[in-house]
Amino acid sequence: MSLVNFTNFDFDQLFAMSDDTNPLMMLIWILPIFFFVFYGQRIQLYVTSGEIKKGIKKLDGFRSESRDELINYVNKNLKPVDDPTAKINRFIDYFTIMPVEMDPNGIVDKVQHIVRSREDYTREHVRSLSPQMSDIELSKVQTLLEIASSLQMIYKIINHMYLTAKKQNNYPLILPLQMILPFIMEQSEAMKEAIPVFKKGQPVGDGIGPMVVGKMMLENQKETIAFQTSLVKSEFEGRKLFLVKADGPGSTVGRPADGLEKIVSENKIDAIIMIDAALKMEGEDSATVARGFGAAIGGIGTEKFQIEAIATSKNIPVFSIVVKQSVKEAITLMTKEIADTADDVRGQVNEMIRENTTQGQSIVIIGVGNTGGVP
Amino acid sequence: MFKKKKITLEYTIEKCSKCGTEVKRKYSDGDVLFSRCSKCTSCDGMMMIEKIFGETLEQ
Repeated sequence: MSLVNFTNFDFDQLFAMSDDTNPLMMLIWILPIFFFVFYGQRIQLYVTSGEIKKGIKKLDGFRSESRDELINYVNKNLKPVDDPTAKINRFIDYFTIMPVEMDPNGIVDKVQHIVRSREDYTREHVRSLSPQMSDIELSKVQTLLEIASSLQMIYKIINHMYLTAKKQNNYPLILPLQMILPFIMEQSEAMKEAIPVFKKGQPVGDGIGPMVVGKMMLENQKETIAFQTSLVKSEFEGRKLFLVKADGPGSTVGRPADGLEKIVSENKIDAIIMIDAALKMEGEDSATVARGFGAAIGGIGTEKFQIEAIATSKNIPVFSIVVKQSVKEAITLMTKEIADTADDVRGQVNEMIRENTTQGQSIVIIGVGNTGGVP
Repeated sequence: MFKKKKITLEYTIEKCSKCGTEVKRKYSDGDVLFSRCSKCTSCDGMMMIEKIFGETLEQ
């Protein structure tokens, strides 16, 4: 005997909800509603978890791949004294505790001190892997270590957020994770793809600023103005130019603010022009050149603060030229479109000098960015 | 339906500082921007590495 004839529904009866409606059909309608009211969030948690799990698996792959690549690179190219695996594993797990922000007075100096201490410490310990390591190799290993360390940290944070949400069966906690995951994956994939580029010492998209200034430096004597930072004194149509960029072709961004401070303390400067890569907005074309005002420099903000403070105290206008690009383009091999903008940027720098200064004045031009592959 | 695989080809552009002749070739290890690399085939000038870049192709 069958209770319901599934092949012969009476639709009038089904939708009418009249007195003679089959009570069993009413239950079939009502039960799912209750079920989804009480368990809907949990079902959504399971569906979303699947997506996030896939992302975390990928991130786990990236971090182990970047670590293995670094160990292989050190073993293959630098002939270390001992097996570097244990040391590298320790370096990768290093953390930085930022200073307390309750009293923000003097916070920039504190942040700068902590970040520079970390850099100095890492440099010395990377050097201990292989005492004959050249400065260029050292900067390469330091950058690779930075990438491996960042990928490790990203994996740990995302995994922690996921496991906590899962443990508590807490769907609202997993929502922000689901929202930020595409951005995190984009950045992590870019970092993973940057590894072979830094290993080969090729220029990255972020190197467009140093590339333009580096070309202007050719045929002139370079001097060291600050740690890992070069200066060339040159002339252009009766103006004195101070060209500043990080030392290449090692992978470093140098300390342009320290360089500027030294130049300004010894010379009267009438304008500062900064050339850098900038993140493009979605929908904007890559390799678009744009001009503006203010210090064009990324990072944690300490260099920018220092440059702004110097410019303000001496009343020097700061102009900037940026080349727009995506996160991936900025840290992977320079694209043809970005490389092709170099001449245009150089032309715009010359135009900016003519428009904003007169003969006899002095201008500092800073090429901001990673100098990997850019001497 | 299936995602196309993307590959990046690495190129080096050499430019003669005297006559401006440009040569595009495959990147080789050790290439560094602005370094002098070979003699120009059109004049007696020196070729200098002007650009190093990647071009992405979909397979």
